[in-house]
Amino acid sequence: MMLVLRVLKTQPLHGYAIAQRIHLLSAEQLRVEEGSLYPALQKLLIKGWVKAAWRASESGRQVREYRITPGGRRQLEAEMTEYRRMASAIGVLLDDA
Amino acid sequence: MAVIGEWIRRLGYLLRRRKWEDELRQEMDSHRAQMGAPPAFGNTLRLREEARDAWGWRWLDELAQDARFAWRTLRHSPGFTLTAIVTLALGIGVNLGMFSLINGLLLRPLYAGADDVFGVHNRSTTPSGRNRAFSYPNYRDIREGTTDIFANLAASFTGFVGLDFGDGARSTYASAVTANFFHVFTAPPAYGRAFTAEEEQPEAGIHVAIISYSLWEQHGADPAMLGQHVRINGEQFTVVGVARKGFAGTSIPGPGVWLPLGAHETFSTEDGTRGTFGTREAHRLSVVGRLQPGMPAETAAAALATVGRRLEQAFPSINAGYSLVISRPSGRLIFMPGGGGALTGVLLMLMPAIVLLVACLNLADLLLARGYGRRQELAIRSSLGGGRSRLVRQLLTEGLLLALTGGALGLLLSTWATEKLLASLGPMLPVVVSLPDVGLDWRVFLGTVAFSLVATLIFSAGPALSLTRRAAAGDLKRHAGSEGRERAGAGIGNALVIGQIALSLLLLSSGGLFVTSVIRTAAADPGFRLDGGLVVVVDPALAGYDEARGRQAHLALLDRLRTVPGVEVVTIGSRPPFTSSGDSRKVAPAGADESRSISVGAVFSVVGRDYARVLGLPQLSGRDFRDAEMVAGSGERVAIIDDALAEKLWPGAEALGRLIQFLDAKGPDARQPIRVIGIIPAVKHSPGNPQPYPHVYVPLGQHYESAMTLQLRVAGGVSEEDMLGTISRVVRDVDERLPVLSVTTWRNHLNASLDVRLQATGAGIFSAFGGIALLLAGLGVYGVKSYVVSRRTREFGIRIAIGAHPRALLWQVLREGGRTTTIGIGIGLLLALGAGQFLQGILYGVNSIEPVVLVTAPLILLASSLLASYIPARRATRVDPMVTLRSE
Repeated sequence: MMLVLRVLKTQPLHGYAIAQRIHLLSAEQLRVEEGSLYPALQKLLIKGWVKAAWRASESGRQVREYRITPGGRRQLEAEMTEYRRMASAIGVLLDDA
Repeated sequence: MAVIGEWIRRLGYLLRRRKWEDELRQEMDSHRAQMGAPPAFGNTLRLREEARDAWGWRWLDELAQDARFAWRTLRHSPGFTLTAIVTLALGIGVNLGMFSLINGLLLRPLYAGADDVFGVHNRSTTPSGRNRAFSYPNYRDIREGTTDIFANLAASFTGFVGLDFGDGARSTYASAVTANFFHVFTAPPAYGRAFTAEEEQPEAGIHVAIISYSLWEQHGADPAMLGQHVRINGEQFTVVGVARKGFAGTSIPGPGVWLPLGAHETFSTEDGTRGTFGTREAHRLSVVGRLQPGMPAETAAAALATVGRRLEQAFPSINAGYSLVISRPSGRLIFMPGGGGALTGVLLMLMPAIVLLVACLNLADLLLARGYGRRQELAIRSSLGGGRSRLVRQLLTEGLLLALTGGALGLLLSTWATEKLLASLGPMLPVVVSLPDVGLDWRVFLGTVAFSLVATLIFSAGPALSLTRRAAAGDLKRHAGSEGRERAGAGIGNALVIGQIALSLLLLSSGGLFVTSVIRTAAADPGFRLDGGLVVVVDPALAGYDEARGRQAHLALLDRLRTVPGVEVVTIGSRPPFTSSGDSRKVAPAGADESRSISVGAVFSVVGRDYARVLGLPQLSGRDFRDAEMVAGSGERVAIIDDALAEKLWPGAEALGRLIQFLDAKGPDARQPIRVIGIIPAVKHSPGNPQPYPHVYVPLGQHYESAMTLQLRVAGGVSEEDMLGTISRVVRDVDERLPVLSVTTWRNHLNASLDVRLQATGAGIFSAFGGIALLLAGLGVYGVKSYVVSRRTREFGIRIAIGAHPRALLWQVLREGGRTTTIGIGIGLLLALGAGQFLQGILYGVNSIEPVVLVTAPLILLASSLLASYIPARRATRVDPMVTLRSE
């Protein structure tokens, strides 16, 4: 969910684009399965961290575009702070060992 | 905040889920299209479901699914469904009936906003702390001094009046109230108006009345009743209002009629306060008020105390030593006349619970039996991936569906039964009162749901768990080693049957004890001859007669009735036989014996000449009253006492000719020496009393009571029923305006007495519960036996094939049924003995061990359970061995 929020932070995107973007941004290291993406998006909707709206895409197709809300930004901040704290702790632990 | 927002979004999803799902599908389609061919997108249906689960409504879908499935399953076996629903309807119905009675009498506040209503009391500051009533001027001062505390402060007093709608006066509970009385309870009259401030003034004397809703209904529920005239204690009143349905003020039962305080003179004033009502010394009113909105009770109490101190200073001669306090009025009150009321109440609540328990055991049985038939279905579902919790939920849903349907039916049943019960209670009370409305409200509905849920948990949780355990164990292999497990299943079933039989026996034998008591009461020897007696109850005061005219009316009736052909002897008395209410006196020796400090409580009756003769009692010694002693102001005070009193006052000595006095009498009667001129045998005044109670009789001339009972004994060979019409006519001819409250035979009078009627009602209820429990137990035995037989068809088939006689099989099934029943009866007898101990205390003439009851009730149960096993047993003998063996 953090990853989804992260890619939505810069611009609103639709489902397929989110998956693509995560794939690209992670230097093709990460792939988000559809089976995890859509439940995650529904959860974000429930929590009120994103909003969805239908829009015609560049290719003229109707797509549902997700836009991060102020609440979602706060959540992303919190999650990233937490993640960095954990990551650095793990890093310290691994370096020492 | 965030959580609330989340739930609002979840709910929004639930309400528009179709739209959401469409969007999700479109979105996924579009996603798939963008991925290009060949799409590596997974199973869209599954993906959609997984995405949907995020909203957390999956349980609701499954519940709906379960309910639909349960509905289909139940529809496929209408026999089972009907039995289950009827069982539940009976079990839940009796509980609801009792619950709505208790709700109406005990739980439901009598009026809206009961929490803000407080009674105000004038409490003595002496250690005794007794409360005094309020005089009107005191009440007015308090009302005016507390306008910032009380939104409304009302005053009232109550008493009995004769209310005559033109069809004869009836003794009616009445309340005289201030103009704002109905405002305190926020219950303005349903029709017409409340009283005005002008009508409230003590000297107003404006004759207007508000009648209770139930009285209005009894008199045709006619809107034109407003403005009509009724007679109250002989005076004409105009009906200006009909109180709200079920309104009773602070009491249950409530008054039948309300008058303005200004009409206080209409109430008979035997305490001699006539003409003094408006003075500060006449303390007759009770005060109740509604606090200003938001006013805490503590603040109100403190402010009221200040007002009380001001009153003390302003009128020290009257108010010194009295403070003002508030208390919550008993706004919810159960009306239980006589002793043992509380015990009866507890019993009444306990019994329906037992019936419901029996019903649940019965259903658990049925479900278990049915469940074995469904083992294959369950096994298949479990092997296809149905989790155990899901299966249990499915079975519980089925049970819940049954329970709710049964509950709804039970609600109808109980509404009907409670109405019947209340209708039978109404005429039981000797006076007109308004009974509370015990109809439906949210508590009863909540009760229905609660009873249904509890029932579901009891009857279907056990079977659901036990059945699914088997299913999980894989019951697809049909027969391998299944016999043993079936035995175990039957064992549970048998335990349930034993429980049912034991509980049914408890109810049956309790019902038996009640019935025994009613029979014994009817046959009880009252100490005098019952047959050939008639009673005529009159009350001249209800027609506004004063003492002089009342005495005249009594004597005129006596004289006239003596001349009626067929009447052997007539007398008059203040207490008809078997009246539990009435006067009593502390009687002590007087004159030369006064030094002996002994006093005996005795029933006090005012009687005419021939009292003992009418009752068929011999004059033990001395003489009867004389005609001269029937008129007021006649010579020496005399009394007749019974041997019970004589023996207590002068043990072993002659009482005749000695002097007695009443220690607790007021006014002219106080401590006057009274000569004992005659002694008669003791009689019982209540059928519940094992011992005759001491009595003292004074002649008509020496004490006046308005309500009197003329008692007649008809000549031999004359039917008392035939005489009733004649007597009624004669009484009317003597004085058309005289309120005649009843003309009936002694036996009917006895049967109509409150104690007897209460016991009869108890007997009716217990017997009905016992009957229902018996029916349920019978069904339970039948269900289990049918199941056992159907499971063992194979065994029976083999045994018949190898030469067993069908009769032997029949006997075996019956014997097994008999064994279960016997164990159940054994446990039930122990329970019944316990209940007997308990009932002995509240029932007349019943021992804790009543052989007739303790033999009959088990026999009835044994017979019905054998009958219930006979039908399936017969089926066992008809097993065709070839058919069973081929079905392998």
